Amino acid sequence: MSIKIGIDVGGTFTDFLVTRDDADPTIFKTLSTPGDPSIGLVNGLTDIAKAQGKSLEEFAPTIETIVHGTTVTTNATLTRNGAKTGLITTEGVRDALEMRRGIREEQYNNRYTNVPPLVPRYLRAPVKERLDRKGRELEPLDIGDVKAAIDLFKSEAVEAVAICFMNSFANGEHERTAAELVAKEMPDAYLTASSDLLPSIRFYNRLSTTVLNSYNGPKLRAYIDALQARLKDIGFKGVLLIMQSNGGVVLPETAKETAAMTLLSGPAAGPIAGLGYAEAHGQRNCLTVDMGGTSFDAAMVLDGEPIVANEGEINRYRIALPMLDIVTIGAGGGSIGWIDEGGLLRMGPQSAGADPGPVCYGQGGELPACTDADLVLGYLSPGYFAGGRLKLDLEGARKAIDEKIAKPLGMTIEEAALGMYRVINTNMAQGVREVTIKRGFDPREFPMVVAGGAGPNHACMIGLELEIPLMIVPRESSIFCAAGMLMSDLKHDYVRSWVGRIEDIDWDKLQRIIGEMKGEGDASLDAESIPQAKRQYVLRLDCRYAKQYHEVAFEAPLQAVADRDAAAIKALFHAEHNRLYGYSLEEQGTPVEIINVRLQAVGITEKPAYAVESYAGTDPSPALKGEREIIVPETGEKKSVPVYDGHSTRFGYQIEGPAIIEQENTSILVTASYDCVCDQYGSFAVYQKGREELVNPILEAKAS
Amino acid sequence: MSSGNGTNGPKGAGGGDIDPILLSVFARAFKSITDEMSISVEQTARSPILCEAKDFVTGLYDGEGRMLEQTENLPILAFSLAPVCKYIIEYFEGDFKPGDVIFHNDVFSMGNQNNDVAVFRPVFFEDKLVAWTAVKGHQADIGGNVAGGYNPNATEVWQEGIRIPPVKVYDGGVFRKDVWDLIFANIRFDIVQEDMRSQMGATNVGARRMVAILEKYGLDVFDRHKLALFDATRKMMEAEIGSIPNGEYSGEGYVYYDGKNKGSKYTIRVDITVEDKKIKFDYSRTDGRTNGFVNGTYTSSASATALTLLQMVNPDIPHNEGMLSPLEIIIPEGTILNAGYPAATTFGNHLCPPNADAIQRALAPAIPDRVTAGWNNLLSSLTTGFDEEKDDSYVDIFFMGMKGGAGAMNGTDGYDHIGMIDASGGVLDQDYEMFEQQTPHRLIKHEYLEDSAGPGQWRGGIGIETIYEIGSENTQLVCFGDGDFEPAFGLFGGGDGTLNTLTLTKPDGEKVVPLNKDLITGVPKGTIYYQTAGGGGGYGDPKKRDRKRLKEEVRNGIISEKAAREQYGLEE
Repeated sequence: MSIKIGIDVGGTFTDFLVTRDDADPTIFKTLSTPGDPSIGLVNGLTDIAKAQGKSLEEFAPTIETIVHGTTVTTNATLTRNGAKTGLITTEGVRDALEMRRGIREEQYNNRYTNVPPLVPRYLRAPVKERLDRKGRELEPLDIGDVKAAIDLFKSEAVEAVAICFMNSFANGEHERTAAELVAKEMPDAYLTASSDLLPSIRFYNRLSTTVLNSYNGPKLRAYIDALQARLKDIGFKGVLLIMQSNGGVVLPETAKETAAMTLLSGPAAGPIAGLGYAEAHGQRNCLTVDMGGTSFDAAMVLDGEPIVANEGEINRYRIALPMLDIVTIGAGGGSIGWIDEGGLLRMGPQSAGADPGPVCYGQGGELPACTDADLVLGYLSPGYFAGGRLKLDLEGARKAIDEKIAKPLGMTIEEAALGMYRVINTNMAQGVREVTIKRGFDPREFPMVVAGGAGPNHACMIGLELEIPLMIVPRESSIFCAAGMLMSDLKHDYVRSWVGRIEDIDWDKLQRIIGEMKGEGDASLDAESIPQAKRQYVLRLDCRYAKQYHEVAFEAPLQAVADRDAAAIKALFHAEHNRLYGYSLEEQGTPVEIINVRLQAVGITEKPAYAVESYAGTDPSPALKGEREIIVPETGEKKSVPVYDGHSTRFGYQIEGPAIIEQENTSILVTASYDCVCDQYGSFAVYQKGREELVNPILEAKAS
Repeated sequence: MSSGNGTNGPKGAGGGDIDPILLSVFARAFKSITDEMSISVEQTARSPILCEAKDFVTGLYDGEGRMLEQTENLPILAFSLAPVCKYIIEYFEGDFKPGDVIFHNDVFSMGNQNNDVAVFRPVFFEDKLVAWTAVKGHQADIGGNVAGGYNPNATEVWQEGIRIPPVKVYDGGVFRKDVWDLIFANIRFDIVQEDMRSQMGATNVGARRMVAILEKYGLDVFDRHKLALFDATRKMMEAEIGSIPNGEYSGEGYVYYDGKNKGSKYTIRVDITVEDKKIKFDYSRTDGRTNGFVNGTYTSSASATALTLLQMVNPDIPHNEGMLSPLEIIIPEGTILNAGYPAATTFGNHLCPPNADAIQRALAPAIPDRVTAGWNNLLSSLTTGFDEEKDDSYVDIFFMGMKGGAGAMNGTDGYDHIGMIDASGGVLDQDYEMFEQQTPHRLIKHEYLEDSAGPGQWRGGIGIETIYEIGSENTQLVCFGDGDFEPAFGLFGGGDGTLNTLTLTKPDGEKVVPLNKDLITGVPKGTIYYQTAGGGGGYGDPKKRDRKRLKEEVRNGIISEKAAREQYGLEE
C-alpha cells in the first residue's frame, strides 16, 4: 500500500488527492488556515486518516510521499508582507530596483502609481566595486563599504540580504566576497547573491529576482520548518517534496534556498495535470484552464511539455526564473457584474472573493457575481452546492441581478444573468487566446482540459467561442493542481550567461560550463536519492542573430555539443526562429550569438497509475438524478434538462447536451452544441455534436 | 434576445434591435483584433524602435474610415492613423479591390512624421468594403540627408525623407514590384523592407479576424452594433466633457530654440471652449512656423491634444470614433503646430510636451482635480561610433537618460522617472548590462536626483542623474529636445521641477554644453557624459504634504533635510 498525497493550499480550501496502489484515488478538501497553512494541512491528513478508520498517528507513517504546493511566497509578495530586506549593490545604480526601467503600465492613467519597492531606498546600500562587460575587474570591492552596509542592516534589524553587482553574471568573485562577510556577520539573515541564484545577463531582471528571493526566503523557510516539524510530530517518515514554478518538485532543503522558485507553486501543477489527462487520451498537446473563485488561469502544453517562460512578473515585480507560462485574468465565480458609464455590461475584475462572496452565499454580499448568474440560469443546484454544505439563496441572487443589471439595461433577470455569463466567457476566451494565438498556435487544434470549481460550468461556451471541439473534464477537476503535483518530476534549473558567436565558439569552455551545471544538478539529485537511470539533462540555449535585441530559447542535444557540431546547433536555432517569427536568416549567413546556456536536471518520479474502469454501456440513465429547468446559453431559451450524478457515471455513458452533470465540488454544463462521453479513467470527454470521431479512441478502449 | 425598454441601455442609431450583451462582445473583440495585430508586429519586426520601444500603432476602421478600435503602444500615436484612413478613401475615390495594400507617410496629407509609415488594407465581406485594418510604425530610416531621419539642419521635407502619398503596393492582390522598388531605392536600410512586411502581415491577421466576426454575426448586426458602440462611447466621452464647467479657457506652452536661431522662443496658445458635451481646442493664436525642423503637422499636434485630454478622462473609455466625435481641434496651417508645405517637421512629435503644458494650464482653473502640473520635457541624445573591442559599429538612443518626472495632480504624486508625456512610461530604459554589451560605453551613475521633484502637497515625479563614460574615439552625438530653459511648472502653490542639463567633459578637462538641438562630432574616448532629467511640477502647498511620507523621503534621500525644512516647512 504505497500512499502518495498531493496537497494544494488555496485561498479558501486546501485540496488533497490521495492515491494508493490498492484503491481508487480519493479527494479531500478542508478549509485553509492562512495564519499557518500547515495547520489546515494536518487537519486534512486527520480527515484522510479518519476516512480509512485510522488515527492520524497510525496513518502518517504509511504515507510514502507528500507533494506540496504552497502560496506562502505568492501571498507574501502580493500583500508585500515579506521579510525586511537589505540590498547591497554597485555604487551608482541603487535605484534600478524601484525604477523598473521607467515603465508605467497604464499610460492614460495619471492616478496609476508605481509599485512600492521591496527594499526601500535607505536599505539599498551602494558599495564601490566594478567589473566590465566581460567580468574583468575595473575597481576592487571596497570591504569598508560592505561593512558599513552590514552595520546599517544590523541596526535596522534586517532579516534578509540580497547582493547584486553590475556584470556579476560574468564574474561572481566580488559578490562571493561580500556574501561571505554578510554570512559571517549576520548568520541568521537569509542571504542571496545574484551570481548564485541567476548568473544571467540583464541587470534589472537579475536584481529584481535576487531581491524577490531574499524577500520571500525567511517566510518560506519558517513555513517549511514548521511543516516539517508538524509532519515529524505525527510520525510521517516519507519524502516531502515542494512544487516549484517551473513545474518540477524539489526537496524542502532546496526550496528553502530558492524561495523565488515557488512564486507560482500552486498553479504550476495545472498544466502538468492537464498533460496527464490529455496523455490518457493519446494527446501530447493540450490547453488547460482553471476557473476558481477570483481568477482564471490558462496554459498550454506542447508536445508533452508545458510551455516555459524564462521571465515574467508577479505583482509588477520582474522575475527571471524559468516558470510555466500561465496567463491569469481576473475572472472567477466571484467576479462582480457592473454597468459602465456608457451602459455596457462588464464582469470583474473586482471579485466578491470568499468573504462576503456572491450574493447567493447569503453572507452579506450585495453585488451580483458570476456564481449568482450561474445559479439564476439553473446551472447550479441551490441545494447541492459544495455537496449541499452551502445552501444557495436563489431569491437573493435574482434580486441583486434585477437591481444592478436587469433594470438598468431594460432586460429580464434571466436575460441579464445570461448576459453576465456570456461577457465573462468572452473575457476568459480572450485569456485562452493570449496563451495560444499570441504564441502562434491555433486553439482549435488543442483539446482543452478544464479545472476549477467554476470551470466546468463555463467551459462549453469558452470552447464554442474559440471553436474548440474537444474538452476533457477530469473527475478530480476541482482539485486539479493537487493531482498535477503527483505527476511532477524533480526539476533543477541552472543558467550561465556567456556572450559569444557560435561561429567561433570555445568548445572547451562551453563543455566546462555545462559540466559545472551538471555537477550542481547531480549534487541535488544525489540528495534526492534519484538513481542514475532516472536522471535526464536537458540543454537549452538562448541565441539571437547578431544585433538583434531579443533571444530565442531552444533545446539543443548535448550530443551536438560533444560532437562540436556548430552547424547542427545553428540549424536548430534557424528553425525555431522561423517557427516563431516566420523567417530565418540562414541564407544571409548572419552570425548567431549565444547569450545564455541553460541546463535542466530532471529526476523522473513514479507516477500514480489510475484505475481503469470497465465498460458499462452507453446508457447513462443509472446516473440520472432528476431534471432541472435551465436557460440554454446558445439560444436563451428555457428548457428542462436531465441532471446526472457525476459520481455514479461509468465508462461508456453517453450524455447528450444540453445536460448537467453534478459532482460534490463542481458541476458540468454540457450545452446544446456539445455531447459527452465518460471515459475509462472517470473523466468526462465533452465534444462538439457530430464529431464522434474525436471520442472514438475512448470507446475503442472498451475492448481491452 | 431582444432589447427591452430600459432608460439607460444603448440604442442602435440606425434603428433595429441592439443586444447590449453583443455590444460588450463586439467592443472586446475589436480590442482583441488590434491587440493581436500589435503582438504580430512586436514579434516579427526587427528594428528595436518597433520591437523594444514599440513606436507603432494598430487600428481597425469601418468601411467609411471610422475608428472601431486602436492599440496605440505610445499615446502620441493616439490620433495618427484615423485621419489617414479617411484621406485614403477620398484619394482613391472608393476604387478598392480585395487584396489591395496601401502605403502612406506623407505629412502633407494627414501623416504625422516622415518616419512613421502606415500600411492600410481594405477588408471585404460579401463583395462589400466593410472595414480597414492598418498599422503605422516608426521606420529605422526614411531616406533624406541623415540616416535615421533626425536632421536638425533640415529646412524642407525633402531633406528629411522620401514622401509617400497613398500608393498601392498590392493592387487587387497583385504585387507592384516597380512601386516597391521605387520606394525602397530611397531608403538606406534593408530592414525597413522587412519591417514593412511585418506590418503588412499584421493587417492581414486583423482582416482575417474581422471577416470571421462578420461570418458569425452578419453584416447587418455588425453595422447596427457598431453604430450603437460609437454611441455608447460618445456618451461616455460626453459625460466626461459634460463634467467640465462650460466656458472658455486659455493657456500657453513654450518651445525653446528652433535649431537655427540661438535664444529663439515660440509660444503655443490654445483657446479651449467647453459647451455642454462638446470641447473645442483652437490654436489660431499660436506662433508661426520655424524655418528649421522644429515644426508639427496637424496630425501629430492633434494627437498630442487628444492624448492630453484622454489622460483627464476615464482611462477605460474605448478608443473609437465615438470617443473622438465630441472633440474639435483647430490648428491653422502656417503655425508651429501645423507648419504646412513644404516645411521640415521631424521634431513635431516632441512639440507634445509644450502643447500639453498649454492645455493643463488652460484647464487647471476649470478641472483642478483632473489636470496635472507640468511634466519634464524630453532632452535626448543619440551616439554613433565604433566599438574597437567588438570590431563593429554601434548606434544608441540614450533612452535611460532622458526620462524625468511626471507632473503631480490633486491626490497623486507625479510618477517618478517616467519620461516625456508623449510616451507616458511606454519607452523603457535600456537594461544597464545590455547597454554595456551593445555599446563600448560604461555606465557610472543612473539614480534618482535629490530635490529634483517640484515640491507640493503632492510632489512632482522624481528626475534622474545619469553619468557614463564614452567608450569610442571620434564619437558622433546628436541632441534633440528641450526642457533646459524652462522647468516643469508647479500648480496651485506647488513648486517647479528642475531643469534638464547635458554636459560633456573631455579627457583634457574641456567642457562642452551641447545646444538642445545639436550635432557634435569627434567626441573622444574617455569623455564623461553628464545628464540630468528634471523632476515634474508639484501640486498644492508643500507645507500640507503628509509628514510621514515626507520624513520617509528625507530618510530615503529623495528630499534633502534642507529642502524639507525650507520648502516643506518640516520642523524637527
